[in-house]
Amino acid sequence: MNQDISVRFVGSAGDGLVSLGWLFAKIIKKHNLNLVGFRSYQSVIRGGYNEYQLRFSDEKVYSVGEEADIIVLLNKQVASLHLPRVNENAKIVYDQDYVDLDELGYPSDIIEKLPIPMKELAKQVSKLSVIKNIVVFGALGHILGLDTELIKEVLEEQFGYKGKELVEVNFKALDLGIEFAKNNNWEKVSKKLKFEKGKQMVITGNEALALGLLTGGLKYYSGYPMTPATSIIHFLTRYLPKLGIIVKQTEDEIAAAGMAVGASYCGARAATGTSGGGFALMTEIVGMASIQEVPLVIINSMRAGPSTGMATKTEQADLFQAYGASQGDFPKIIIAPNDIEDAFNVGIESLELAEKYQMVVIVLMDLYLSEGIATVRKLNLKYKTKRYGILDKVDDDYLRYKITESGISPRTLPGTPKGMHFTGSSERNEKGFSIASTLAGLPETLPIRNAMVEKRARKLKQVAKEIPEPIFEGDKDADITLVSWGSTLNIVREARINLEEEGIKANHLHIKYILPFQKEKVKEILENAKEVLIIEQNFSGQMQRYICMQTAFDIKHHLRRYDGELIVPSQIVEKVKEIVKND
Amino acid sequence: MTERKYKADDYKSDFRPTWCPGCGNFAQWRAIRAALAELEIPPENVVLASGIGCSSHMPNFLNVYGMQTVHGRGIPVATGVRLANPKLTVLVYGGDGDIYGIGGNHFLHACRRNVDIITIVSNNFIYGLTTGQASPTSPVGTLTKTTPRGSIENPLNPVSLAISAGATFVARGFSGDAKHLQYIFKEAIQHRGFAFVDVFSPCITFNKNQTFDFFRARIYKIEETEHDKEDFHAALDLANQRFVRDHLPIGIFYQIENKTTYEERDFALNQGYIPAHEELGLSDEQIEIITKEFY
Ligand SMILES: Cc1ncc(C[n+]2csc(CCOP(=O)(O)OP(=O)(O)O)c2C)c(N)n1
Ligand code: SF4
Repeated sequence: MNQDISVRFVGSAGDGLVSLGWLFAKIIKKHNLNLVGFRSYQSVIRGGYNEYQLRFSDEKVYSVGEEADIIVLLNKQVASLHLPRVNENAKIVYDQDYVDLDELGYPSDIIEKLPIPMKELAKQVSKLSVIKNIVVFGALGHILGLDTELIKEVLEEQFGYKGKELVEVNFKALDLGIEFAKNNNWEKVSKKLKFEKGKQMVITGNEALALGLLTGGLKYYSGYPMTPATSIIHFLTRYLPKLGIIVKQTEDEIAAAGMAVGASYCGARAATGTSGGGFALMTEIVGMASIQEVPLVIINSMRAGPSTGMATKTEQADLFQAYGASQGDFPKIIIAPNDIEDAFNVGIESLELAEKYQMVVIVLMDLYLSEGIATVRKLNLKYKTKRYGILDKVDDDYLRYKITESGISPRTLPGTPKGMHFTGSSERNEKGFSIASTLAGLPETLPIRNAMVEKRARKLKQVAKEIPEPIFEGDKDADITLVSWGSTLNIVREARINLEEEGIKANHLHIKYILPFQKEKVKEILENAKEVLIIEQNFSGQMQRYICMQTAFDIKHHLRRYDGELIVPSQIVEKVKEIVKND
Repeated sequence: MTERKYKADDYKSDFRPTWCPGCGNFAQWRAIRAALAELEIPPENVVLASGIGCSSHMPNFLNVYGMQTVHGRGIPVATGVRLANPKLTVLVYGGDGDIYGIGGNHFLHACRRNVDIITIVSNNFIYGLTTGQASPTSPVGTLTKTTPRGSIENPLNPVSLAISAGATFVARGFSGDAKHLQYIFKEAIQHRGFAFVDVFSPCITFNKNQTFDFFRARIYKIEETEHDKEDFHAALDLANQRFVRDHLPIGIFYQIENKTTYEERDFALNQGYIPAHEELGLSDEQIEIITKEFY
């Protein structure tokens, strides 16, 4: 395994852990390192026990890792709660004026204690309590061997707009931290990372998705606040006047989806975002937009359910909710992005597919992907999208719901002369008129009904032709095939690499497109596998059952986690060893 | 008199209405078309969104951009239409079950939001399409299939509700007087801001109480009285007079023009953006602004 370092900040909601993690990520990023970060927290505004783990390297980083090289304890209460999570060889940074590690029972023989009077030092330069975090950054900078000038550049960029004075305070606090670590002979970490001044971004999954949507031509976004989707609307609203788009907080999720359909019907590329509970409310609109053939992108960022479940915990358990959303038999597209960079790509792709095929596209994010952060180097923000299937002039024989080979019919937008038509949630003929009331069941309407059902279904076949094959990595003749979907791609990748280092050959099939599903390819890979292990963040094995339904292949082994926390590579490695050993 | 640009029939689709002969919806169908013709609004610039119900079949029968949504959701869909393209004339049409019942939440918020759309409710005091059940406007004691012992819920007063909730144009019409309806619809369409019209519209098949004769015996026109439609309290008083009894005012209860609309307040729309027409993707300048926080 390459050299990487994990730092874990442990605090309460009031410790400003979000901005602290963000700032630390920016410092790391400035050194041109790659980083992945995730905050584990609870649904309380103050108090609680929060961990922000950040892992970085000069090579690719796949997950936030498990063991921490450095643990920073920000207050006494969390210090005691953190005890069971402490690992061997961790350097523990804490404020000895408030925390006594021995009294709390920390295992002195396997850890390295690094006491620092962070509060006291911070008081020397400022009354602001958060300045203690900067003191800590100084001390960490010293043991990580970071470049003080680069750290200062970050502080300047972050606080410069608040005035020179605050920047100076931050510089002083940083220097105090560095001095303290030096004077107390804090040993540097043994792992050496190469760094230089870097220019990549650090971003959350939701923000990457939002940037992707904007790049893909988003003009209308509506939503009703629900964790973990809310940060999408926060981000979009921030820049709304500069973007010339509509961002609308609605009275409920039904309105959010309904308004997005209205906007999209007029030609504004539109999306709405929520979590499972809100998605449940949007369900009727999924079917409506699908029969109306109005493009619509719905983001469902999954969290632990059912119902309110655990609002701040991650899960991949809405697969069947998405698959079965809305009554009747009709096609929809479901995409589960792989990672933060991919969320950007899916932002573009979802809007383009929705418009091109006049379909509903459901994007299955989850809390880990939505809220996790990572450095990214290649977001193609200059990508130029184009319009699909919209007529600006109309011939006399225009039929809005014309039966075509591809299933895609021509479309006019309101404002287009002679393009008037009826768009209904009822079954219709090619003109759009309802065949559901007085015409229902007449001999002449039966074939029309069939033709419409089949026309809509054909579109999904077309989509299947244009989406890429599933990701399949590793040696074809491996001892075991790992299967994953959505946000866990990189976690499972890390496990596979670790297995290889231990001499166990594994390969990895990852599913991003749930509908249309690449069943031939998936089946072929699974049938050629020696053993198959599927890894999912849910209780009942939703993807496992879905694959069985699509391919009739019943996967034998599974690893499922549903306590709300992330699956970690070592769990996968352990499980694989169990399976391979028994063979 | 100069020739009008459009005739009422220009707004008529090839699909003949499927309502029971004699249904109150016919008069509204005629009045909507006549009002649009009178205002010379090109059919391609009109979007009419409905929900589900007998009344909600309306857009089938109109030669405009017509949209039937799902039950109760005409208002949010129409709101999206209007915000994406404020050049359009956007109407919502539905029944009392559709807009006051299942869509009640949207109605309330549309009133306070003041988006420039027109909501017309065909109020027949019953659920027509589902063959006669109690609706939010059915008076106490009404016998329906779901209230065989008489309805025990107090009815909603939609006109009073709309005024209280902040609608800037609130009116009531009667399907027995198409000319008057045309006048109200015309005023509603011309109004700047959210306009709401409740229409007494008898269901001749399932409602034997609120019939044409029932209304004819009770209605009077607000325009023929001293009522000041700009007076909020007077409007509320008028709306709160004993409902569905002896005297039933029709006409414009309330109208104010000096309240800013949602469109005028929206930070993109008030700069002149038309989201549906803007170029797709991001300019270099926009990229710089929105990604700065990630560097
Ligand atoms: C979600 C949902 N629930 C119930 C129905 C069944 N439904 C169709 S129309 C209707 C009520 C119609 O009454 P109203 O809105 O007053 O319109 P009217 O038919 O009287 O014009 C109902 C309950 C439906 N279509 N969708
Ligand atoms: S059932 Fe009533 S509301 Fe429906 S069409 Fe017939 S008369 Fe009109």
